[in-house]
Amino acid sequence: MSRGRRTSLEKSMLGIYVALFVLFIMGPIVLVVVVSFTSASFIAFPIEGYSLRWYHRIIEYRPFLDSLLVSMKLAAISAMLGVLVGVPGALALARSRSRLASTLSTFLLAPISIPAVVLGFSLLYYLSALIQGVSFLSLVIAHTVLAIPYITRTVLAVYRSMSPDLEEAAAVLGGNRWQVLRYVTLPQVKPGIFAGAVFAILTSLDNLPISFFFGTATTNTLPVVMLSYMQNQFDPSIAAISTVQMMISVLVLLLVNRYYGIAKLNAA
Amino acid sequence: MMASDSTLPAKGAAPRAAARRKPYVLIRPVWALPAVLFLAMFFVLPLVHNFLRGFGGEAVGQSPWFYYAKLFTDIYYLGILGETLRVSLVVTVACLVLGYPVAYFMVRHAGKWNALILFCLITPLLTSVIMRTFGWQVLLSRTGLLSQWLLSLGLIDRPVDLARQPIAVYIGLVHVLIPFMVLSIAAVLRGIDERLEESARALGATKLGAFLRITLPLSLDGVATGCILVFVLTNGSFVTMLLLGGGRVVTLPLLIYQQFNLTQDTLFASAMGNVLLVAALICLVLQVRFIRRKGVKA
Repeated sequence: MSRGRRTSLEKSMLGIYVALFVLFIMGPIVLVVVVSFTSASFIAFPIEGYSLRWYHRIIEYRPFLDSLLVSMKLAAISAMLGVLVGVPGALALARSRSRLASTLSTFLLAPISIPAVVLGFSLLYYLSALIQGVSFLSLVIAHTVLAIPYITRTVLAVYRSMSPDLEEAAAVLGGNRWQVLRYVTLPQVKPGIFAGAVFAILTSLDNLPISFFFGTATTNTLPVVMLSYMQNQFDPSIAAISTVQMMISVLVLLLVNRYYGIAKLNAA
Repeated sequence: MMASDSTLPAKGAAPRAAARRKPYVLIRPVWALPAVLFLAMFFVLPLVHNFLRGFGGEAVGQSPWFYYAKLFTDIYYLGILGETLRVSLVVTVACLVLGYPVAYFMVRHAGKWNALILFCLITPLLTSVIMRTFGWQVLLSRTGLLSQWLLSLGLIDRPVDLARQPIAVYIGLVHVLIPFMVLSIAAVLRGIDERLEESARALGATKLGAFLRITLPLSLDGVATGCILVFVLTNGSFVTMLLLGGGRVVTLPLLIYQQFNLTQDTLFASAMGNVLLVAALICLVLQVRFIRRKGVKA
């Protein structure tokens, strides 16, 4: 009896704590969205009127729009390249029990475990020695280095949880390697590929410590432009462009949800 | 650890009987080459290149160790190294202490609320770090919400600018990184059989005792994964320190950013990067040891 009551007391105390935690996490984000709709020309509370003027402002301010396009193009291309080299890599290493294979799969995951600032800084000087000047290509290379681990990680996890018997059965029944891959393996690891690609796209859109080093007028990504804007002024247009960026990320996730289901994504 | 008797998967010429006992291998290990070569070329070589640049003291007429000596003997830079370590440690501990109860609640009590909490942990990952930092600026600045509330409650008599205090950096970092901690711990807690804790209580342990002696030790894997993740991520971030704290919290990544942006002493920045890299590699080795034990699932 008393034990039951104590458990429910513990539960409600924890519940209150978690509610506060949720407030702590969501508060600043919701606040930014609210501020983005203000009609005032500076940030002040209480908000007196709502308008879309700051959304007009981000359309008028070219660097925001231009860099948003650069960011989206970059995220898509680097995720695609990451899939192209990362998926075969993960499939090739997942089943092998050799020491070399396990070392190599750790190696493929390594780029996300080192401080991004160091990677960005090192890549800048390395690539500027290889390629003439900083270009979009350098950015693509840098972001692909980060996309590979995200994709490899989820594909490794999914493929390892999949029984090799299915592929073997398909092979015994006369499927050649290409057919087994096309009709048995790929359909099964698809959620892993998508989950990895989504992670890669989302982190690429938000990446600052690497993109920052490659900033020029034509290769500035959105976060880089936002950072330099914020260092000079403190107005609600940052709130508006942040909200737009968040909506794009939500859209990416909803799209994946529509085709593959968040649940599957979570399982990966 | 992995079985040591297994060797590379059978190649084409291997006897069929031997091949049959091993799992079917669809993709030969060679197919890992593109990814491995890409990373060797654009991940390892740049870091090696940077490593060598760090010994570039000769270029300015000094010994190769010039920059490292500067970094480890100058009081100012030693202070920054200490600050980097302190910020990472404090943020990691704060995320652990604040995040563990949330993970526990999610797994043990949340029920239908679980999806909502999960949503609240994933949403921040969809927003940019800049957006979240901006949110804290709006909350904590002189004209911000918090200052106004405190004013209207009569707790302070003139506006305070909390956004320019070091505390803002810690709040901002915890806010950005705590989802990683909660998700890492929850993943492991989910795999712990609740009946173990119940048995301990049936045998006379108190609720707290059962938690401390059964559940907590079993969840240490998740705690370790989360801590290493948060530590490494704090170690590499500079945006929060740049935008919050009024320039009073200077860590190594921020200093690299400043060296690059303002003073242009890029050789010195290389040396700093190498120090940061070594710290990260140590964490990576620790991480690999924990992941090995659990299979790849981070």
